[in-house]
Amino acid sequence: MEFPKRYWRNLDIPLVLSVLALMVLGAIVVYSASYTRLLTTGDPFHYVKRQVLFGFVGTIGLIFTLFIDYRVWRRWYKLIYGANLIMLSTVLLLGTTVSGSQRWFRIGSQNIQPSELAKLAIILVLARFLEKPENFKGWKILYPLLLVAPPMGLIILQPDMGTSMVFVGILFSMLYLADAKTAHVLGLGITGIGLMLTTIYLSFHNIVSIIKPYQVTRLLVFLNPYSDPTGSGWNVIQSMIAIGSGGFFGKGLLQGSQNQLSFLPANHTDFVFSVLAEEFGFIGAITLLTLYLVVIWRGLRIAGMAKDRFGMLLAAGSVSMFVFQLIINVGMTLGIMPVTGLPLPFITSGGSTMLTSLLGIGIILNVGLRRAKIMF
Amino acid sequence: MSRVSNRLVSRRIVILMFAIILGILGLTARLVYIQLLHNQFFQTKAMNQRLQAIPIDARRGTIFDRNGIPLAMSVSANAIYAVPAQVREKAKSARLVADILDLDYDFVLNRVSKRSSSEWIKKRVSTKEAQAILSLELPGIGVVENPERFYPYGSIAPQILGLVGIDNQGLEGIELYYDEYLRGVKGEVIFERDAIGREIEGGVRGYFQGENGADLVLTIDYYIQQIAQREVERVVRETGSRLAVIAITEPKTGNILATASYPSYDILNFMDFPVQNRRNIAVTDTYEPGSTFKAITAAIALDTGVATPNASFFDPGYINVSGWTIRCWHRGGHGSQSFVETLENSCNPYYAKLGMDLGGQRFYEYLKRYNFGSKMGIDFPGEAPGRVRTPSARIPLVTWANIGFGQGMTLTPMQLLAGFGAIANDGVYSVPHYVKEIHTVDGIIGPAIPKARQIMEAEIAHMTRDALRSVIENGSGRRADVAGYEVAGKTGTAQLVENGRYSHSKTVTSFAGFAPATDPVMAGIVVMWEPQGAFFGGIIASPVFGRLVEQIMPYLGVAPQANTVKDDRNQVSIPDVAGLSSMDAEKTLKDRGFKVDRIGEGSRIIGQVPAAGVHVNPGTLVLIYTDLDYLHSFSDIPNPFGV
Repeated sequence: MEFPKRYWRNLDIPLVLSVLALMVLGAIVVYSASYTRLLTTGDPFHYVKRQVLFGFVGTIGLIFTLFIDYRVWRRWYKLIYGANLIMLSTVLLLGTTVSGSQRWFRIGSQNIQPSELAKLAIILVLARFLEKPENFKGWKILYPLLLVAPPMGLIILQPDMGTSMVFVGILFSMLYLADAKTAHVLGLGITGIGLMLTTIYLSFHNIVSIIKPYQVTRLLVFLNPYSDPTGSGWNVIQSMIAIGSGGFFGKGLLQGSQNQLSFLPANHTDFVFSVLAEEFGFIGAITLLTLYLVVIWRGLRIAGMAKDRFGMLLAAGSVSMFVFQLIINVGMTLGIMPVTGLPLPFITSGGSTMLTSLLGIGIILNVGLRRAKIMF
Repeated sequence: MSRVSNRLVSRRIVILMFAIILGILGLTARLVYIQLLHNQFFQTKAMNQRLQAIPIDARRGTIFDRNGIPLAMSVSANAIYAVPAQVREKAKSARLVADILDLDYDFVLNRVSKRSSSEWIKKRVSTKEAQAILSLELPGIGVVENPERFYPYGSIAPQILGLVGIDNQGLEGIELYYDEYLRGVKGEVIFERDAIGREIEGGVRGYFQGENGADLVLTIDYYIQQIAQREVERVVRETGSRLAVIAITEPKTGNILATASYPSYDILNFMDFPVQNRRNIAVTDTYEPGSTFKAITAAIALDTGVATPNASFFDPGYINVSGWTIRCWHRGGHGSQSFVETLENSCNPYYAKLGMDLGGQRFYEYLKRYNFGSKMGIDFPGEAPGRVRTPSARIPLVTWANIGFGQGMTLTPMQLLAGFGAIANDGVYSVPHYVKEIHTVDGIIGPAIPKARQIMEAEIAHMTRDALRSVIENGSGRRADVAGYEVAGKTGTAQLVENGRYSHSKTVTSFAGFAPATDPVMAGIVVMWEPQGAFFGGIIASPVFGRLVEQIMPYLGVAPQANTVKDDRNQVSIPDVAGLSSMDAEKTLKDRGFKVDRIGEGSRIIGQVPAAGVHVNPGTLVLIYTDLDYLHSFSDIPNPFGV
């Protein structure tokens, strides 16, 4: 395997440091978020240890993938696509159900979430497909949609609205950067939004039950959380109280009353940002957003410098995965996005998301290492 | 392999980057809005949802009779509550609690499983049950003091007092009318809790003492009320009346000493009685007064000069009023009569003539002075105004002729009694009222009732009074006379209206009067609806009033007048039994030939009626009242918040 030394010079240091900083921030926040829960049952560092372990394993994996030229993956796309579909189908049949969603495989004490890895799979497959402009010329613009539809459909069935929204985001970002006609992208976008609104309308009024009315209610409750303050609106209200009461400097580590007194639900998973914003205030929240901005900027920079279209699309797809997870997750905690169970990469406690996120970074770095020689 | 370095793609990457920055700026803007601009708002919200308050009812004020005897009081009772979030092993806890409190298991399980901050499991729990619950030391199950209404002397004056709801709110009667004074201000135990309802150690904690309700001192006299209740029950039993009312006031003040109606109800078991038994008929129901009203017509006629004490009237047995013929109840008429004799004879044609002579406008104006046709402003909820036609060209003269002898109008027994009170009290009209004093934390205040006012010259009142005395001495009210006391009054009977016409068999029979005639200390009214047999008030209502006077006068300290007492050699003095044990007191009285009725279950005598030293006939019934030592069982209440 060819691995020239100049590759190391291409390693994007700001990106690596930002990711490391995010992981450290994540470990601190997870510690605080799980502190009260663990105080009565045992080791207060239980989740932190896991987080560090996943981070470590993920980083090893990341480094390992760096040695494999991303272009090699082009050959495996059919296998990856097929394996992905099998995983997603199996989880629907055999998976564990947690709070109404069938998303996880239980292996030993570990829950594995195939829909996380499915994001990477679809990025790879789409990059392979969109690499050749003739693959989506004219009416063939519908092909990439047909490619995304099966895994996304399986994820909607779990149901996992958040991840499927990320899928849509990845698809459109990659189509746009693959140089698809603006009219096509816009047309597809408008059609998609129209279909979505129709689905929601039909389901909500019980005309055709595509998704259950209570799911629609949950999805739309962020528009007016006080319509159901103790039910589906509870999470949004408590999250906004946590963030709002945090103020500029925050209440301090372990001092967030919303977090520590169990008012904030899912505080080490979906609503981990609320914990950060409550205990570290506006300063903490802005720090997180800035770190993300660095990751996104460096990632897109690498995409722009990629050696080939495949690499460009791989890097851009990975970046868009982070972008949409960030905006949907943080937007949810701020009450401007639907409440969906979507992790915040590097921060949310959990193995699948940590692994997926680090592998996503690995893809970007991989493309960066093997970028085009700079001509000027 | 296609190359990338394509200007369009680079441009699109820049555009995408800008779109992403815009998105992140959007999140930042939202952060600024929530975290910086509305920080205070959300901090308050966070604090408020951590605070939980468990309300503690204020002790409701005690209602005393005018001598300080507690008629209704609030005592601490235990109530069991659950904080569902803290209850562990719900099924087991529910089973234990249900067994001790004699409740349904499913009910208790449902309460301890609710998703609320706290739930009542049972109110009004005995000390023993409460202690049993406490000894289990079940997490999330607690005992709290909650005051409950208690009637130390049983169901006395239930229609006056009225019911109190389970949440310490007055529902009827005085309890309702004076609720804002009686109920006090709720207290609270406040503590800081987490989302599941568990108290936070070292969190905010506060106890806000409520403000106890004000005590009321009624004008009701417990002893007189007892007498009235006994007599009204007796008259219903003896006459087969559907309903009867007795009300007694103090004419000089308008103080209501007693109001009783029968059928009545037991305030502790009110569910077992029809709702209408809870009405305070004397205030809330109206009727056609009939001849008792002639006293009012007489006073107005004398006041306006339409009649003079020296007037005479020939009664042929009827009178024509603009085409209508009004007949006297006495066939063939009473012939030639003096003014006083018309009242003694209760001569309808004469009072019809007075009504006509007064004329609609003038008669109406004078009736207004007595509050007939409008509410008096008594301190009781649901007062009925009664009905008097407003004079106009369309109201025929015969209407006013009818009102002259008490027909074609309605009033409440209390309204008529107030009118008699003015006649008895030198022409000064006082609105009857139930409350003498309100003992608030800021001091003692009186009831909110209109001021007393002179509605006729004292001289006119005296003339009417004397005529009413004569009715008892010489006329239709003879049976109300009592040896030793000068009673003044008037009987009355009116036919009930049934299906729009006067019934031939159903009547309202009544007596209104006062005693002693020259210096009245009590005024009273007896009204009975649909008595069986004898229709005329003089025959059945008068003796009731007589019995009231006979029992109440000695108690009020009015000794019988020697010159009217025919033979006082047989009279005996009542011994003082206050302070004796119940058994000794009973024996003492029985040995001297008195009948004895003991009220209460206590061991010691604290009062008696008639009072000690009063001379009465041998064999008179003496009521003795015992103390309240059974109240003490309520005093040892565990306080969970003091621990």
